[in-house]
Amino acid sequence: MANILIVDDDQDFVEAVKSVLVSGGHRVVAAYSRETGMDAVKKENPDLMILDVMMEQPDDGFAMAHDLRKAEFKKPILMLSSVGTISGMTFDKDSDMNPVDAFEEKPIKPERLLAKVKELLGA
Amino acid sequence: MQLVEREKLDKRIETLKQCYGNDRSALLPILQDLQAEYGLLTGLIMQETAHALGIHPVEVEGVATFYSFLRTDQKQGKYVIRLCRTISCDLAGKARVARQFENELGIRFGETTKDGLFTLEYTNCLGMCDQGPAVMINDRLFAKVTPQMVPQIIMDCRQDFLKTVFPEITPSDVQKEGPILKNALPFGEGLKKALTLSRSDVIATIREAGLKGRGGAGFPTATKWQLAGTAVSDTKYVVCNADEGEPGTFKDRYLLHAQTDLLLAGMTIAGYAIGAQKGYLYLRGEYLYLRKHLEKSIEKRRQSGLLGKDIQGKKGFSFDVELRLGAGAYICGEETALIESLEGQRGEPRNRPPFPVDTGFMGNPTIVNNVETFIDAAIICAKGPAWFAEYGTEKSKGTKLFSISGDCKKPGIYELPFGITVQELLEEVGGEDAKAVQIGGASGHCIPAPEFKRNIAFEDISSGGSIIVFGKNRDMLQVAKNFMEFFTEESCGQCTPCREGNIKILEGIELLEKGRCSTSYLNELIRLGETMQLASKCGLGQSSPNAFLSIVEHFKNEILGRVPEAV
Repeated sequence: MANILIVDDDQDFVEAVKSVLVSGGHRVVAAYSRETGMDAVKKENPDLMILDVMMEQPDDGFAMAHDLRKAEFKKPILMLSSVGTISGMTFDKDSDMNPVDAFEEKPIKPERLLAKVKELLGA
Repeated sequence: MQLVEREKLDKRIETLKQCYGNDRSALLPILQDLQAEYGLLTGLIMQETAHALGIHPVEVEGVATFYSFLRTDQKQGKYVIRLCRTISCDLAGKARVARQFENELGIRFGETTKDGLFTLEYTNCLGMCDQGPAVMINDRLFAKVTPQMVPQIIMDCRQDFLKTVFPEITPSDVQKEGPILKNALPFGEGLKKALTLSRSDVIATIREAGLKGRGGAGFPTATKWQLAGTAVSDTKYVVCNADEGEPGTFKDRYLLHAQTDLLLAGMTIAGYAIGAQKGYLYLRGEYLYLRKHLEKSIEKRRQSGLLGKDIQGKKGFSFDVELRLGAGAYICGEETALIESLEGQRGEPRNRPPFPVDTGFMGNPTIVNNVETFIDAAIICAKGPAWFAEYGTEKSKGTKLFSISGDCKKPGIYELPFGITVQELLEEVGGEDAKAVQIGGASGHCIPAPEFKRNIAFEDISSGGSIIVFGKNRDMLQVAKNFMEFFTEESCGQCTPCREGNIKILEGIELLEKGRCSTSYLNELIRLGETMQLASKCGLGQSSPNAFLSIVEHFKNEILGRVPEAV
């Protein structure tokens, strides 16, 4: 069982992801903005983060990933966003511009999400 | 004979292709050069250009007829006299200058003299709003023109300007400098510091400074750079929007000349941050006289290793800037229209989303920023984000360059912190007696005296920097008429609310002038304006009724019930 923090401004999506992850035996905490997300990281010290991109600002997730790595947060980050679908462009992990461990497009199948979480926690 | 001419033309087009490229994006500069040489884009010229670029002649004609500086119907004279007809030059007495040009040349506006020497045209905003009325003759600019200067100007033309000493660039009137204009940075400092940072740290610096786009919309610059920088693509572009066409705005004209190195440094920093190899500086056709200076500055930076391959020894970072010239279309200041224009298309805005950061120039991630934004970014990289954030308000950090024109004692360029009230600004420029102030140009809002306590900032009254002061004796209906004439002329015609709406509002204003507009019809016009704000495709149509609506709201008593002048 892992302690997972999800940061996403879409409350319905957060609820859906939560139920999937809880069914997989994880403990899940949610935050709904970049600012509250940063506070939650300090408070919860999660084993893994699931991070949206387009929140209050269209690039909040990218900026937050950068801030987290600057703050020495070394746990895995799974970026889960529809920014690629909306913009028609490709986004991926990138050691400088997008320092996350995996980038997945929304929507995501529950089994793929659980597999990805398992993979990242095992890494 | 015609065959020889055609061969000559084809050879010339081939040479131009080598200069501007083989693809469609070379179309506009090729047409501009051909017009300069032939005086007119004839059917043959358009046909041969189309064949050379592998496109249909109709597409070339579509482009040529879109831009007001390109001519397909009537050969232009050796000297094309373009008189600015927008609001600030109008307030400064454009009508009498226009009449005198007609009297001296014996032609009306839109016509060419029989000897083929002079063409008389109106043009929209030459960016000389603080020094109007302004006239542009080919690539020469005349400021503060009076009717009695007109015969001398014409005589100078007849003598090929041999007797006139022109300043290469008309000096700008900078009335107040602030931390941006007084930056006192050593040459190349901003770029040098930026290249010591990682790409993401450059963006983080801009984010921390809270820099928002200086063009008026106030979109966070770092967000734009971040999205373009993170997108996975081998080809990305940086575009500088130097298509400063908003009536009443002229600060970029000054910056393009006085802060050229910082501008090019800002573009290069942006190129580094987003991973672009190429930048375009899209200069409005009305600023043709700045071309030589800008090209020289670009070349100087290439020679100094500040543009080109492995810039300042940074392995793998290559970036170059190319200058492209607009051709007299206000709409090309809208970023997607600007990209269309760069691609050699009619400057018609695209649907958004997708936004240019994702699918911009040639379908690649592209950032488009204002001249002032790039300069601010370069200074922020040199001096740090905290320095910049000291000025302005919480949501509008930094200072802003304002272009002040109209009825005030000290028109010119002012650098002032965001958050300043309209009243404070008026005291600064000597316009305390104003009855209204137009903030944000023709597409902005008309603020009446009771609202002078409001702040100029993104959280209250947003502005790209255009401030036009209206004195106590100004007829606000004439102000509204001038703005609507501008939009009727500049609408690209693509969407119905803007194309038809602006004409209908202008017709309504003409009824108001004659005292023949009922209150119920005026209410219809207000509803039409509100519909345009909602239903137009781009920012031009959405904002074109703003001035009319705010003038009607605040000056209804002044514009209703007019008694027409006796005939």
